[in-house]
Amino acid sequence: MNTGLTLAAEFETPSVEYRLLAPMLIVFGVAVAGVLLEAFMPRPFRHETQLGLAVAGLLAAFASVVMLAGDYSVAASGSVAVDGPALFLQGAILLMAIPGVLATAERKVDVGGVFAPAGSSTPGSPAERLLVAEKITQTEVFPLLMFAIGGMLLFPASNDLLTMFVALEVLSLPLYLLCGLARRRRLLSQEASLKYFLLGAYSSAFFLYGVALLYGYAGTVRLSGIAEAVSSEAGNETLLLTGTALLTVGLLFKVGAAPFHSWTPDVYQGAPTPITGFMAACTKVAAFGALLRVLYVGVGGLAWEWEPVIWGIAILTMGVGSVLALTQTDIKRMLAYSSIAHAGFILTGLVGTDAVGADGELLGVSSVLFYLVTYGFSTIGAFAVVTLVRDAAGEATHLSQWAGLARRSPVIAVVFTFFLAAFAGIPLTSGFTAKFAVFSAAWAGDARVLVIIGVIMSAVAAFFYFRVIVLMFFSAPAPDGPSVVVPSPLTTVAIAIGAAVTLLLGVFPTYVLELAGLASQFVR
Amino acid sequence: MSSTATVLAAATDTGTGEAVTFWVLGPLAVLAALGMLASKKAVHSALLLALTMLSLAVLYLAQDAPFLGVVQVVVYTGAVMMLFLFVLMLVGVDSADSLVETLRGQRVAAVLGAVGFGALLVFALGDAVVTNEGLDQANSEGNVEGLANLIFARYVFAFEVTSALLITAAIGAMVLAHRERHLPKITQRDLSVQRFRGGQYPAPLPSPGVYARHNAVDTPALLPDGTPADASVSRVLAARGDVRSIPEQASTTAIERAAPRREDDGS
Repeated sequence: MNTGLTLAAEFETPSVEYRLLAPMLIVFGVAVAGVLLEAFMPRPFRHETQLGLAVAGLLAAFASVVMLAGDYSVAASGSVAVDGPALFLQGAILLMAIPGVLATAERKVDVGGVFAPAGSSTPGSPAERLLVAEKITQTEVFPLLMFAIGGMLLFPASNDLLTMFVALEVLSLPLYLLCGLARRRRLLSQEASLKYFLLGAYSSAFFLYGVALLYGYAGTVRLSGIAEAVSSEAGNETLLLTGTALLTVGLLFKVGAAPFHSWTPDVYQGAPTPITGFMAACTKVAAFGALLRVLYVGVGGLAWEWEPVIWGIAILTMGVGSVLALTQTDIKRMLAYSSIAHAGFILTGLVGTDAVGADGELLGVSSVLFYLVTYGFSTIGAFAVVTLVRDAAGEATHLSQWAGLARRSPVIAVVFTFFLAAFAGIPLTSGFTAKFAVFSAAWAGDARVLVIIGVIMSAVAAFFYFRVIVLMFFSAPAPDGPSVVVPSPLTTVAIAIGAAVTLLLGVFPTYVLELAGLASQFVR
Repeated sequence: MSSTATVLAAATDTGTGEAVTFWVLGPLAVLAALGMLASKKAVHSALLLALTMLSLAVLYLAQDAPFLGVVQVVVYTGAVMMLFLFVLMLVGVDSADSLVETLRGQRVAAVLGAVGFGALLVFALGDAVVTNEGLDQANSEGNVEGLANLIFARYVFAFEVTSALLITAAIGAMVLAHRERHLPKITQRDLSVQRFRGGQYPAPLPSPGVYARHNAVDTPALLPDGTPADASVSRVLAARGDVRSIPEQASTTAIERAAPRREDDGS
């Protein structure tokens, strides 16, 4: 009793700055409220209420991100960094999550929605047919999405490796679940979910091993502490290098970079398409944010050591993504390989560590931030378009089924062409400005060979995008080909947001580029 | 303990008791871990994993980390492993692992990769010099109190966010496994009506075989003509291939002995 009293006196009450943590707290709060709604709300009202709550929560969280702009410090006893890159990426994730959630909530294109009526029913069983007939939908996906978004907000903002690991798991676990709940082609979806889960768990183990070794090196898991240890050259370098390597493996897995990319095509193909779009955009943003923070803040003093490695991985990633995308016959797999190639292009920008812009902004950081925004919105839009091209069996994802799509629906063909042009990096689309930004950052960082390889690879990548465009416009449609479904306003708005941002950032990129430049400094 | 102690110096600091514990439990843990990978039955794997975890728990305790040791026993060995065993028991393991390689050369490549990675870690980390803070310093307020201070003060946010993980896990389990009732409940009466209408075998299934030598659920009962009654053994056991055949277990003499008696009764 006595010792208990003295200990209570010694215990330092932690400082939790609720204002600085507001974006995350709002999203987690909405997620928990969503779980409660599942318990108490009658089934007919759940879908609309959950959707409204989720969108309102995302908007409120975005508002609190905007209010925090310029107010940089560390929060929660140093666990969370509230700084330019963190706020920029949090804002980006929240804005991307809105079209992501809207597309996920679509129920008109496939009656009942994109998710299976019950995850527990055996695919194709009489029980499932009954649920389909009764138009049961699974609304637990909304709290799951919000938990994933909460984890994504924390991931690029975590200032110590322990928090980063927890954030990694919080963002991954709901995604593993959501991948396995597709209404059509359930077995493929469940296989995707299992693959993602097993490989994700495996990569988490790498991450954790890296954290342990870095702790052994620096005696702390704080990124600032590790940075101090690196600059004072204290401790054992073997531990530092091995730890950094293992940690980076864990992060590169989430990013989908080349030797660790093998999950991407299978998972992107199997997951419900709006979830694929959400995952491709938001997970990539969060994971690159964390990678930037680890590499620039934690082991920034080690740039000489990690830059060549990132060089190699960037080249490999661009190569694997672009070349293998050429051989794909499924539109979702092709977009998955395209996403791998884009991870390579983004890594190119990361290499420009010592590139400093006119106003003292870190070009390596700002170009990556900008690229993530442009890529994310285009991807959500493109995957939302994929959901609309359907035949009796569900989405028609085989490339041959897309032949002559322009004759069936000129609007959808033109919109999809626009997204593909953005992926290929054609001027007047956001993809061009973004590629220009990362390549110029890498050029200023003296990674000229890398830039040349990157340009060649984007030419290779452009080829397979144009193959699809040619297929859509200049081939005769198959007689029993798919039709284009007119979606509800939810998907329409998601596609419109994606297309509008892609156009705006292509024509007037200055404002967001400047914002990314202003947001390029890390709090240490 | 000095603040800069090499692994070697730390090893020489080890007391006799701790050294004995290590050399007894270390090999045991490694062997159990290897056995877990090698054993064909999932239940054996699970039990061997439990053994590895218990050995580790004792090693933690020996190294002045009582909290970690106790958590290892209570949470991992106690809760998680027993949950594994329950799942194995309830679900039943009725399918063998397919050992067909879908990608040719994958297994060789995986083994080479694993050995290479292991060698890299062993040789790189094997001669790493560890600068440690010192256990005495970390445990200065007591092991549990020190941890509590870290978890509830310094890392309180990470701790709180972990709750999101737990909620997700709970919802995930519900989404994947829970079936809501959308049909009226089938009562016992409905079931019995069904059974008689269906024209199937209406009585309860026969119980498994009971012999003087043997009394087990995996041995089928014998029909009056001496053939085994397949319905008397659980389908799960049959799928697993765990059913004992009659000639092997109930010796033929027993059947022969049973047969004449029946004839006697008849006469």
